[in-house]
Amino acid sequence: MSIAEKIKVLIVDDQVTSRLLLSDALVQLGFKQITSAGDGEQGMKIMAEQPHHLVISDFNMPKMDGIGFLQAVRANPNTKKAAFIILTAQGDRALVQKAAQLGANNVLAKPFTIEKMKAAIEAVFGALK
Amino acid sequence: MMTDTAARRVNIIQGEYKVIDDPNVVLTTILGSCVAACLRDPVAGVGGMNHFLLPGSASAMSAGGDATRYGVHLMELLINGLLKKGARRDRLEAKIFGGAKTIATFSNVGDQNAAFAMQFLRDEGISVVGSSTGGEYGRKLEYWPVSGRARQYPLTGAETQKTVALEQRPAPAPRPVESSIEFF
Repeated sequence: MSIAEKIKVLIVDDQVTSRLLLSDALVQLGFKQITSAGDGEQGMKIMAEQPHHLVISDFNMPKMDGIGFLQAVRANPNTKKAAFIILTAQGDRALVQKAAQLGANNVLAKPFTIEKMKAAIEAVFGALK
Repeated sequence: MMTDTAARRVNIIQGEYKVIDDPNVVLTTILGSCVAACLRDPVAGVGGMNHFLLPGSASAMSAGGDATRYGVHLMELLINGLLKKGARRDRLEAKIFGGAKTIATFSNVGDQNAAFAMQFLRDEGISVVGSSTGGEYGRKLEYWPVSGRARQYPLTGAETQKTVALEQRPAPAPRPVESSIEFF
């Protein structure tokens, strides 16, 4: 079993299309255990019930945004060790700094390429295959 | 009643998007094979338009291709901009224009672009209240983002060729996160 197959990933994005694209990219990278949610609140609910190893979350979302979600994940002893990658369509330095301060593992700009996503994940977990 | 002369015209070029909540603004653009998505929230009184041409081949346009991600990105920027100005996703309505079939393009890029926009809106549950896509001629488009009124004029054959030739120039790559940072 490859590393990718063992990693449980949670995708959080308010756009259905973005979730589908990301999940498609992850399948191409060899991931098999992928769950998705439409906002941070829903994502946190899933994490609390069943912690995932890797969270890939959009920044701009209704209810709880990516930063709020990151804080919630880091504040919960059961989920705080999860790797957390934030995706953003409108990145700026303030967001990148804030995310880094709060313990995000990476911030990726949309539209990302599969290669960039792979590099961001491998930076945390090592080579996927 | 608002007259056209009183309206402030804001032009949009390929790769751009604008969000407007001023009823006196009319958004304008010229479309060959490109597609413009016009979205608004009638309750919040805010609307906007983007203008995109997805680069390419059928394989690049396939689900999960880089072209698809680029198109999704431009749609997301517009939607995020609307939400920031008080729009609600479940109230958004869309009009889609452009995607002309022209001899200058080898593959039917126009059709693929229009199909992409329609598929995106269907997947996101955003209702399409009007559209004019395809055909042999380009369009000059005017859209009042607050009222949702749209008006289009067909381009002549020569204008269409010229527009499509301009559209085929490589689009500037979407700005990565780091390049939008300003240091003071």
